[in-house]
Amino acid sequence: MSEERETRLFMISPRSMLTPDQLVRMVHSFGDEVLVKETCYGCLVEAPRVKVREILAKVRETYPNEVFSKIRAYRCSDPRRCRAQHGTRPGFAQLEEEWALLAKIQYGLDQVEKGASYSPKEDRKRLDVKAFKKICEVQ
Amino acid sequence: MKIFIDPPNSLVLFDLVERFGHEPLSTMAAIQERVDNLEVDMPPMNVTLDDVVKGLKYAGIEVPSGIRGRMALWGPLIEEADAAIIMEDCPYSFGCVGCERSNLMIKYLVHRRGIPTLTVRYPETDEDAVNFVAQAKEWMEGLK
Repeated sequence: MSEERETRLFMISPRSMLTPDQLVRMVHSFGDEVLVKETCYGCLVEAPRVKVREILAKVRETYPNEVFSKIRAYRCSDPRRCRAQHGTRPGFAQLEEEWALLAKIQYGLDQVEKGASYSPKEDRKRLDVKAFKKICEVQ
Repeated sequence: MKIFIDPPNSLVLFDLVERFGHEPLSTMAAIQERVDNLEVDMPPMNVTLDDVVKGLKYAGIEVPSGIRGRMALWGPLIEEADAAIIMEDCPYSFGCVGCERSNLMIKYLVHRRGIPTLTVRYPETDEDAVNFVAQAKEWMEGLK
């Protein structure tokens, strides 16, 4: 993996009251020389890896369970991806789906912080033959 | 530890693995390497011609090239991984943005390697999500 740059995607959970604008302003307020691009789901941050990790740690400190992040392969505004330059944006369908899931994950993280623990669900049992016969019988 | 995530481009799994102190192995990192160091043409091309040849190690010549291309990216990640976390029944890993055969191949390769693996279901409700996060946390803390 390249050590020079890291482009990171920050996505705000739909359960959060934080807006992309607030998030971008907060990243700017850290004073680092980084490229920040506001998006509909949060923002993109591009800088040398060490700086991006520092920003990630600060964002996590302020909004521990509301902002989620992953790295992005292509640079910000890369013509092969950017919609403004007629890129194809093939990953957006998945991002949209995962954005909806983040609300549940945020709830999960909150509950785990409060002390919730893993409780395995009971496996689905096989249907009893008598019960099955009853279902099949014509009333 | 290096943890392979499946789906390999999942935001949720990538975030959780980092959050609980491990290094996620993802598609994004593999593609970034190609974007920064190699010439990758216009999308939807994310692999080079050499990659498709490398994919032959994981999938035969009669297998569709899409699977070989995917395996060229994901196969080396699975070989590099110390552990793996697999989320089953993700709605976005099937259909126009996914490939069920590649998903099955990933699971097969992960199980064949015999590394510690956590298999979870895609959380449909808040309660499922609590269980999922708690289980992932306990599992990843146990890996240290």
